[in-house]
Amino acid sequence: MTAAPVEVGRTGLDWTSLLRRYGWTTGVWLLLIALIAFYASTIPNFGSFQIASIAKNSLPLVYLAIAQAIIVIAGGIDLAVGSMLILTNAVAAQLMDGQSLGVSLVVAVLVILMAAAINGGVGWIIYVSRVPDIVVTLATLFIIAGLALIVLPSPGGGTSDGFRAIFTGSTSGTGSNFWPALVMMFVPMLAAARWMKHSRTGLSLYATGSDSTAAYLSGVGTLKAKVVSYAVGGAFAALGGLASLAITGSGESRFATASNFTLRSVAAIVLGGVALTGGVGSVVGAAAAGIVLFVLSPVLSAMGVDPNTAQVIQGALIVLVMMVAGVVELRRERAE
Amino acid sequence: MTLGTREPQLPELNQPRWAIWLADHPLAVLGGVLVVLVLVTGVIQPSYLSASGLRNTVLLAAPLGIMAGAQTILMLTGGIDLSVGMIATAAAYVAAHQSPNGSLVAIALGLMVGLLAGAVNGVGVGVFRVNPIIMTLAMSAILVGLFTALSFTVLQGSTTVSDFISTLGGGSFLGNRIPYNALVWAGVSILIIYGLRRTGYGRLLYAIGDNPVAARLSGVRSWQVLIAAYAVAGLLAALAGILLAGRTGAVDLQLAVSFLLPSVAAAVIGGTSIFGGIGSYSGTILGALILGVLATMLTFLNAGQAIQQIVYGLIVLALAWLYARVTGSS
Repeated sequence: MTAAPVEVGRTGLDWTSLLRRYGWTTGVWLLLIALIAFYASTIPNFGSFQIASIAKNSLPLVYLAIAQAIIVIAGGIDLAVGSMLILTNAVAAQLMDGQSLGVSLVVAVLVILMAAAINGGVGWIIYVSRVPDIVVTLATLFIIAGLALIVLPSPGGGTSDGFRAIFTGSTSGTGSNFWPALVMMFVPMLAAARWMKHSRTGLSLYATGSDSTAAYLSGVGTLKAKVVSYAVGGAFAALGGLASLAITGSGESRFATASNFTLRSVAAIVLGGVALTGGVGSVVGAAAAGIVLFVLSPVLSAMGVDPNTAQVIQGALIVLVMMVAGVVELRRERAE
Repeated sequence: MTLGTREPQLPELNQPRWAIWLADHPLAVLGGVLVVLVLVTGVIQPSYLSASGLRNTVLLAAPLGIMAGAQTILMLTGGIDLSVGMIATAAAYVAAHQSPNGSLVAIALGLMVGLLAGAVNGVGVGVFRVNPIIMTLAMSAILVGLFTALSFTVLQGSTTVSDFISTLGGGSFLGNRIPYNALVWAGVSILIIYGLRRTGYGRLLYAIGDNPVAARLSGVRSWQVLIAAYAVAGLLAALAGILLAGRTGAVDLQLAVSFLLPSVAAAVIGGTSIFGGIGSYSGTILGALILGVLATMLTFLNAGQAIQQIVYGLIVLALAWLYARVTGSS
């Protein structure tokens, strides 16, 4: 709501506007670094094993946060990203079970394309039906979770050892090699960030999310923006499903997992500086917030806090951060 | 529909009169859907079309309807409460624990939990301007952690509710025809409908949801209105939780969690806009009844959980689409 006054003919670095643009994202990354540093100081042997553990186990939530961020920036919200995660997880677990790495990779590509196609269809339905995003995706949350349950009625299935190593760095899913997980985290994240900020389509998502009528009137294809944002979001949710398959080594399709992941993805993007009203924020901030949300639990358990209290603290911390942000915003509004 | 300017479609002059009438009376469409669903369920299971069959649906729908009332009130302000499921569970937990001390104390303390949690939500949203989704999501997480921990310590003991609460939540009168919880629901409905339509406070809820800036500039103290709205929502969720505990007889930490998304769905099916300012509780009542009949129908069909979820989702989607079509807006 704070439109900066336009000043013509200004050159050089404008620190205030830079801070306003990147301050929140930088802040979240600094928070993450501080958290990890604090974690390293509380446990006696912090090393590559812990880094690998954090990097790989936060992958599913990071992918979902990126998925949600892209969709919300384009002016939507997808409550079904968690369902898409368990559907892709279930399909991949069924098809990859006992197969070679080559077959697994083909399956992975097909699963990503399937998720993109389904979610693109959801975006199309939202546009054509004029039903709000949150309502349509509330319905698809159930539908897609139901499909997942049909594909995989009880936990099971599997994948190839090589495929597990791609995401986790080891064929058994646990190890000290953190490079693969970091690569799998940063390459898709930076690719998505670059695509959002520098491609024609990516910028059209920001335009549509910021004001869809204005974007439409200035020639942006708002239907395309809706479909593309949901399709790319679906593809990232599929990456999340594949990552959790690689981490656990078998598939699972519980509805509770789906709704839980959805809620955490929404929490992650808001913490990451993406405005739920659309058009504001970045996938990089959302991804960092996803890791922060994950890292909080090992940090709190390293401090000797029991898991239930840890959950209370986690919830309270999220609220506290958002309250501070709200007060800062309020003061800025008053000042202007 | 090929070019998408998102303006509300005005009813065209050459539209048939019934279409215009339906656009003006969307609740009639919902009522029609409800009747059709009841008849379809009757075809699937003929014994359903009896006093006891319909009674079961109302028994199912009452807690959902009350919880959806909380959702309706908040959606009118442009908010949402994703903690209703956990608030209901927490209230039921406290009510069960206090049941040995008498039903009145149990119910009062249970409602207190809802009021308190709701008020905290309201402070977050109204004073600190935290996004309602995040605020209530975090509240939900806090309550899960808190009550899991408390159930091993302070709240250890009774997990069954008193006979009075059992009767209130699961019993019926008039020869097993009308469930008591329907009576509670009816009372709550009258209060909500009257409150929203006839009181100044109710109109303020619509005003804030319709245009928060205009409401503020015309002197509405939004933060006070919001705190009260979230507190009332917490109270309603707690009431629904206690009724639910009465129906199941015992409480656990998963008691009402599965009611969260249906409570949003009931309000949405009933035509309350998720963006605020538009909607009514009478629509939500129909929405809750439709979802209740739907749940009964799916049980009769004996379909697996997967099919149930898919059909449930498809019907929510179809109804929302129908509503948008009939009223010509989103």
